[in-house]
Amino acid sequence: MSELKIAWLFPDTLFLHGERGNLLALKRYGEMAGMTVSVNKIDFATEGFDPGNYDIIFCAPGEISSFPAVYDWLLPYKDKLDEFIKAGKPLIVTGTSVGLFGSEIVRTDGSKIKGLGLVSLYATENNDVYGDDNWFECVYNGQQFQMIGNQIQMNDLVLTGAEPFGKLEYGYGNCGKNREEGAIVNNSIFTNTLGPMLICDPWLTVEIIKVAASNKGEEFKGIDYDMELEKKSFETKKRLITTKESRLVNCK
Amino acid sequence: MKFHLALWFGKFINFLISMVDKSRGTNLAGEKAMKIDPLMVSHFKGIDPEKVLFITGTNGKSTTNNLINHIFKANGKKVVSNLEGANLIYGVCTALIKASSLGGTVKADYYIFETDERYVPVIREQLPAANLLITNLQKDQVQRNGDPDYIYRKLKDAVSGGDLRLFLNNDEPRTKSFDDDGKTVVTYGAEKHAEAFNKDASYVTMACPKCHHKIAFDYYNTDGIGRFHCVNCGHSSNAEADYSVTDADFTNRKFKIGGVDFDMPYDTPYMIYNYSAAAAVAKELAGISLEDSAKAFGNFKNVGGRFEILKYKNKTIKYMRIKQENPETLQTSINVMANDPNRKMVCLGLCPLVDLIPHYAVSFYAYDCDFSKLVRSDVEKYFCFSDHVCYDTVNRFIYEGVDPSMISVADTEDVNVIFKEIEEAETDNIYLITWLHTYEHMEKYIKEEGNK
Repeated sequence: MSELKIAWLFPDTLFLHGERGNLLALKRYGEMAGMTVSVNKIDFATEGFDPGNYDIIFCAPGEISSFPAVYDWLLPYKDKLDEFIKAGKPLIVTGTSVGLFGSEIVRTDGSKIKGLGLVSLYATENNDVYGDDNWFECVYNGQQFQMIGNQIQMNDLVLTGAEPFGKLEYGYGNCGKNREEGAIVNNSIFTNTLGPMLICDPWLTVEIIKVAASNKGEEFKGIDYDMELEKKSFETKKRLITTKESRLVNCK
Repeated sequence: MKFHLALWFGKFINFLISMVDKSRGTNLAGEKAMKIDPLMVSHFKGIDPEKVLFITGTNGKSTTNNLINHIFKANGKKVVSNLEGANLIYGVCTALIKASSLGGTVKADYYIFETDERYVPVIREQLPAANLLITNLQKDQVQRNGDPDYIYRKLKDAVSGGDLRLFLNNDEPRTKSFDDDGKTVVTYGAEKHAEAFNKDASYVTMACPKCHHKIAFDYYNTDGIGRFHCVNCGHSSNAEADYSVTDADFTNRKFKIGGVDFDMPYDTPYMIYNYSAAAAVAKELAGISLEDSAKAFGNFKNVGGRFEILKYKNKTIKYMRIKQENPETLQTSINVMANDPNRKMVCLGLCPLVDLIPHYAVSFYAYDCDFSKLVRSDVEKYFCFSDHVCYDTVNRFIYEGVDPSMISVADTEDVNVIFKEIEEAETDNIYLITWLHTYEHMEKYIKEEGNK
């Protein structure tokens, strides 16, 4: 039985929106695939962090005020994180924290917070919050599928060369003005979709685990799980999305 | 002149509303009057800012406001307040319109207002309260606020200047971090009580509001509130709050503050901090002794709708209202069910958020909540209902280890379906957790049909 090692970046600092659920999903599906799954919390107290020692790195949304401190801590590991992404390993970043991995975050008062520059985008903080469902189509690990999640948008994302992760069917996505949702670099995902996305959309979770297994040179043995519950959830939320009142016009 | 026109118009609206329904219209008069005089709140005469208290925070504002009013009135103080819960500037304005003379003079001993945490700066611009009580600042209303820091920054701006007396929750990290901002700081809190709990290492805590490192909790007296310290900068609860609930006895409904015995009006742990906050305000703002405060606690009746009991055929339905997007209120409900040793049915209706446009299917806050103790308790079956969110709710239980065969699901909020499922339970001990809208439909159904 192989080991699936997951790093969870700054869980108590980047602590918003019940993203713990995503770690539960990675653990559950990893174990269904016959792997032993370990989740290590990485934070300011961690010594000797080596991204290369992990198969998956996960980073949840946090308060923007925390980003300078997190940036300072992660900066010495920038090159190793870059190697991680270039090696095709999955770095999964959600919500506001995407800005931390772009070039910069421009705050509403005009001040700027540096980003790690690992994905070609920058973020601009909005005066108002926008919360909604989002529904998009994406391709990951060669598989095409649809996702539905939530979005609590504090920042707009401006892609400066990065490929969008998804094409919106509905939702605010990167900026509410086009159909771009998030960004993807190799097998690393930078998405506005937050909350327990990997529980609600397990078809992505399975592909992430496949990628992680493949990167280790291991055969993916398959997962014997009926996703009927998640499919029903997807369909009922799609019904809500397609019938509700919305002021978004970017997907019409 | 503009002020007087606005005032008389507001009083006229209040009069019309009182003809229809005295319980309605808590914002309307203020809202309409302030269209005539947008600075109307600042124009009332006779209000001493030193006698004005704003109560703000995520959870517990209404309860604290009601309890403080109750103590003050029981001790002979005349209070102007917005007890109906209209906590924007229009609600404050409406309360002042009601209390004022035709000339706009208000005569009261104290002015105590529940204020929405987003609007404290706006209200304080017109009514410069010298006292501010913060209950707690937690995850809530993310579609409006995004994250707690959004509110935190607004409140920080509101208290800048250091001219306030602050009443701060000693055991809530964000609130406690205002301790450098007040002219005077009074802390309130509670010692660890019998229903305090911890969460396992898979749960997150929060970022220190001062240095962004991890906040560690020794325990939670209620979710997100308990003895804490930052692992980096030393931000922490004081060893002892100025006013602290001790010796909490939920069985006999007693506790102490400063060695004085108090009756516990409600045996719910999350109200403990409301008790110490109210006692602190009574003593510090109005000079009401702990002994005299204590006399008022025994007959305190809180605002309704948070915890209700319905009788339906042979079933007792215990309804607990949660705020959607707010893990703390859901955790509180979970803890109440988990602490009930009797066999029970759990009906959980996490619904789409119906607030701003667009509505959305949110349930992620349930992953901040620890269901493990509930799952280990004696649950006959789980029922997950609600349009669009029910399947995600089922998954939350499955991820907590519940056998899927114990869970039934209905993609609806149709009360007929909900009651049918309840009828099929063997136990008569039914817990219902959902938003107010569904509960009100169920209550109406029982009145009209339920016990036929």
